[in-house]
Amino acid sequence: MADPIHLEYEVAADDYQAAGAASNSVKETLKMLGVPTAISRRAAIITYEAEMNLVIHGGGGKIVANIDEKSVELMTIDEGPGIPDVEKAVQEGFTTAGDRAREMGFGAGMGLPNIKRNADVFEIFTEVGSGTTLRTVINLP
Amino acid sequence: MAHSIKISYSACHGCVNCIKSCPTEAIRVISGSITIIKDLCVDCGECLRACERKALGIDDDDWDLIRVHGDIAAIPDPTFFAQFGSYWYPELAKGVLAQNGIDLLVDDIEDAFDLSAYAAARTIERMSKDQLPVISIYCPAVVRLIQLEFPELLSRLVVVENPLEIAAEMWRKRTKSFAPLTLISPCPAKITMVRDPVGRRPSPIQHVVSMRKVVHTLMASGVKVSSDTPRGKSDTKRFAEWASRGGESRHISKFANRDLRIIAVSGLRNTMDLLEQLELGRLSGVDFVECRTCDIGCFGGIAVPESRFMAHMKHRHIETNWQLSPEREASLKSMFENEKLWKLSEPIPSRQRLPLSSDLSEAMARLKQMKAIFAELPHIDCGACGRPSCKAMAEDVAREQGEITDCIFKLREDISSLASQIISLADLQPNALKRIQPGKSIKVNAQRG
Repeated sequence: MADPIHLEYEVAADDYQAAGAASNSVKETLKMLGVPTAISRRAAIITYEAEMNLVIHGGGGKIVANIDEKSVELMTIDEGPGIPDVEKAVQEGFTTAGDRAREMGFGAGMGLPNIKRNADVFEIFTEVGSGTTLRTVINLP
Repeated sequence: MAHSIKISYSACHGCVNCIKSCPTEAIRVISGSITIIKDLCVDCGECLRACERKALGIDDDDWDLIRVHGDIAAIPDPTFFAQFGSYWYPELAKGVLAQNGIDLLVDDIEDAFDLSAYAAARTIERMSKDQLPVISIYCPAVVRLIQLEFPELLSRLVVVENPLEIAAEMWRKRTKSFAPLTLISPCPAKITMVRDPVGRRPSPIQHVVSMRKVVHTLMASGVKVSSDTPRGKSDTKRFAEWASRGGESRHISKFANRDLRIIAVSGLRNTMDLLEQLELGRLSGVDFVECRTCDIGCFGGIAVPESRFMAHMKHRHIETNWQLSPEREASLKSMFENEKLWKLSEPIPSRQRLPLSSDLSEAMARLKQMKAIFAELPHIDCGACGRPSCKAMAEDVAREQGEITDCIFKLREDISSLASQIISLADLQPNALKRIQPGKSIKVNAQRG
């Protein structure tokens, strides 16, 4: 088995323009590896929503992708405010996004639910005041 | 995948303007002239716009040769009527061209575009919320772009044939003629639509010529509207609307039984952005998406002779009659019930570029190699290697379609390290020539017993 492919992206807080870059890169990479398009699309959606979460809520952070023969693992790591009530946060429509994000058409409360829907494994490790790590896995056929 | 761009090797000076304009990175400059990777070309025409030396042209059929044979039946693209001094209403254009021995298919075009819009409206109404939005198939460059870059959106393409093709079939059926049909095309994409059809086979159209050529020939022959030009009713047809952005959408919404939520964009960048957002699932509550890769829509096509701004202005000053008579509506309904008339007969396949290898482990190894090569490159995307970016260069090398020394900076590094090797070699001297220079001591290495 070959060593996994490891990708890392830094996402800055409030940088709405740059959001989408990591998502595109993950999609391109999976395409080049010949991963089925339905899977690269799911990975692109998860990465995009994760980028938006970092921009809006997490105060910026890091996205990490690990790709091996069996799965695509996508993680976001931030040192932001943390999520006080995870159960609530994964409900559709729940949002704590500020006015600025909502003015730009974001913060509809679909981010985490959308990530959850597209992932085979979905885990959140969070602590109020010290940050959040989100780990998702998509299994390859 | 065929394409309809031709290269004039004598005009090409090997500059790299075109390679950067290509949305799918389909162009390379190898050995001083352009190569188009035909599987990646979507015929958007951006490279023709970027080439200052006119080394890129449209590969169409020979209009002069078609004319020699006489008996010409031609399908006008909806942009055709705005190409002359004043706006030629379709019936008038038909009269003028008839005087020049060309039978212009105006009635069939009218039926076909009405049917296409009607079928699209009914299709949208019957779809469930998660199947929407559907995407227009009218711009062949957009269809090809989706096949190549957004295969997950293929299932969203509306399954209605291009109305230009529907018109050709209607004409053939109505006239029972064996004469070849010629499409007057505003762009290379519609040429390729005829030569390499997608979603149907074969094309009902036999020849395609660029509109530029047809209009110039007509003007050179001194064609003009005179008092004895036969005119029908001077009524703008709904199909003429499709020449500019949003025209198709207007046509469909006028035929719909509910208020449709539609996004219509033109230009390559808008098209790419919209498809990207659609793929990420960000366009909820939208029913129909119309994309045209050319600015302003088909008026901006690279084979359109008239200024796109002028053509658009002339077109805007005429009025379109959107009213459907009850008889008309009944006839559309009966045509719609015969799916053979309008439904795409084949699924549209994905045409993705090849992965680095068909084996995942092997592809991963190559991807790592590609990243290692990329890390060595200067990342200024200068294009001197003949590729659009350092990333494309790294990919080509990893695919064994190029050498790392194609990069001028890597070549310089190699030369510089070679040069320093030469200098250090030049410092070596045979023992017999080694002399003690005045004022310098010499280190004696030899050990004596």
